[in-house]
Amino acid sequence: MAAPATFTGIDTRLATPADWDRLAARARSLRRAKAVALYAFLIAVSLPIILPYFWLLTIAFSTKTGVADTLVLWRSLAVLALAVIAFWLAAMLAQTRRQMWVGVTAIALAATIVFARLVGPDLHLRNFIFLVEPDFASIVRSRAGEVRGAVQFPSVWRAFGNSTLIAGAQTVIVLTVAPLAAYYLSRFQFPARAAMLRSLLVLHAFPVLTLIVPMFLMLYWIGLLDTLAGVILVLVAFELPFAIFIMKGFFDAVPWDIEMSALTDGASRRQAFLRVVLPQVRNGLLAIAVFTFIRGWEEYIFVFTFLIRNTNWTMSLYMYYVRDDVMGVDYGVVSAVGVFYLVPSLILYLAAQRYLMQMSIGGVKG
Amino acid sequence: MARVEFHNVVKRFGDVEAIRDMNLTIEDGEFVALLGPSGCGKSTSLFMLAGIYLPSSGELLFDDRVVNEVEAKDRNIGIVFQSYALYPHMTVRDNVLFPLRFKRIPREEALGRVRAAADLVQVEELLDRRPSELSGGQQQRVALARALVKEPQLLLLDEPLSNLDATLRLTMRTEIKSLQKKLRVTTILVTHDQVEATTMADRIICMRGGRIEQIGTPDDLYHRPDSLFIAGFIGSPPINLIRGQARDGAVHVGPVAFPFEGLPGAVTVGLRPEHLKFAVSGLKGRIGQMEPMGREILYVVETDVGYVRVLEHGSLAVHAAGEPVNIGFSPDESLVFETASERLIAAARVCPPA
Repeated sequence: MAAPATFTGIDTRLATPADWDRLAARARSLRRAKAVALYAFLIAVSLPIILPYFWLLTIAFSTKTGVADTLVLWRSLAVLALAVIAFWLAAMLAQTRRQMWVGVTAIALAATIVFARLVGPDLHLRNFIFLVEPDFASIVRSRAGEVRGAVQFPSVWRAFGNSTLIAGAQTVIVLTVAPLAAYYLSRFQFPARAAMLRSLLVLHAFPVLTLIVPMFLMLYWIGLLDTLAGVILVLVAFELPFAIFIMKGFFDAVPWDIEMSALTDGASRRQAFLRVVLPQVRNGLLAIAVFTFIRGWEEYIFVFTFLIRNTNWTMSLYMYYVRDDVMGVDYGVVSAVGVFYLVPSLILYLAAQRYLMQMSIGGVKG
Repeated sequence: MARVEFHNVVKRFGDVEAIRDMNLTIEDGEFVALLGPSGCGKSTSLFMLAGIYLPSSGELLFDDRVVNEVEAKDRNIGIVFQSYALYPHMTVRDNVLFPLRFKRIPREEALGRVRAAADLVQVEELLDRRPSELSGGQQQRVALARALVKEPQLLLLDEPLSNLDATLRLTMRTEIKSLQKKLRVTTILVTHDQVEATTMADRIICMRGGRIEQIGTPDDLYHRPDSLFIAGFIGSPPINLIRGQARDGAVHVGPVAFPFEGLPGAVTVGLRPEHLKFAVSGLKGRIGQMEPMGREILYVVETDVGYVRVLEHGSLAVHAAGEPVNIGFSPDESLVFETASERLIAAARVCPPA
């Protein structure tokens, strides 16, 4: 009988206990080296993604009107880079989980102190003036000695409300229509079902921007141009196919048995749907709710085209006009508006992340 | 409790006839098994009874009333599915309570009935758990409780034991049977497992290709199978089916011949493994394999007419692999089928004394 070779390729017949220790040590160091290389790579590729957000935050809280000072950016970047490298080293050198936690905590503490000393004195909240002062543009401009008339901005809360309304209404409509349509597509056989499923995907594949002119005309003719309702309808129409497709995948995964069981237990088709099937697809509902809301929240091109009056501005339009008006004068305010715009979707994502992770589009079949 | 009848029931799915002209009466309080290989139409029949499928033609009667068009929710039927189909988002209590929610029963009384049903299948201490926290056997019991809590007129069991391990299967078999005897509820068990059917049911309806092949007691099906299909389907280890020739008033199987009164022609002789003995003469062969099964040993013998399985009592092997043997059998215990029609032609002689 031939002795099996180990995965290291060494014939086990020749291995003594001492060899085993040596082999184990080699495997350990190999594993560690691989992990180090992997983390180095991950850090390198994630830096360009993390850095803009980090700088956005730093600028929003530190830049002063009329000053294009980048020193604070470099300082904060230095602290961040050193901290990341220190974390990496700690993870690499730590022998136990406990050691690692101690190291990570110490580094985090040190980084916070250095950050507070180097960048702290420059931090301030004055860039968030737009939250309380609608006519902040004039104030910001006068600070820089420019007195030319600024754009008349509506209150940022107005834009915030409009964005919330658009995203919220869109979410409610999608959440109502998509599950019903998806359930029907998943459970019932009807003419042109396959064609409909295919067209759902094709619809999603189209660049929606190509339809902007016809959409504009349609909204104009039905009198919904420059109304939030018009934008909501357009967004719903573009968001629905994808939501339906996602929901169909979730419904497909609900076994027929429990539905039949509910029917024989005395439930009507509607009761079975509401009480037994719908609770099984809760994660799907959450996923499409979050995605739809965020799509509505970040919507720019349609609101830019279909909304005209400044009382109809959404956060994205507000952001655009702020950039347009005070960018040359005050980067800080522009960044602060960006941070304010970013926070709700960030919170939503963090809250729903657990459910979004469970969504697998790959498992969807027609 | 109900008497169930099928009158010329047909079920088509597009061009496919899943059930072809089914006629059947199940008496009140009876425990019958619908037995057949997958795709034979047994589940389709079950779903028609449950009101999930509508028969394409024919009539379905509960207690002499036609129920074809009666909706599932109004039929008062309890089903236990193969997957148990418990509602994953509800506790056991809510699962069992679910059927009563649509019955306008006062909550106190409903909860009392839930406790009684849970008590019946011994899951009362699991009421606050969720289905995902239960073992297969416990889920099975909860599914039974849910089916029984509404005091159904008909209990349908769809492969209820196939997801349980072997030991639990034995226990649940006994329990379901005694529960049925206690409650006297008309019960239809759908299964592809002939052991389940023969051990549990009073009567077995054997189906094949959408048609009823034979109806009878477990004994009937074992000792007097109408066709080769049933003979091969019932019994474990399976029956030996050996080609033979009927001529000159005898059936010839290899070198063996025994008297036979039927018409000459090609026949298939069915021999149950336990009816075969090792003897000094008979079918010649060589022991190929031995399969010890505890109380008995199954020998697989290679003969001129193919593999023949012989079941010997006793746990000690008396023969070794490769040993040449002769297999003898009694003509009284053989079943003779016409090969062309696959029908039984000589069965009377093999009937055990009634």
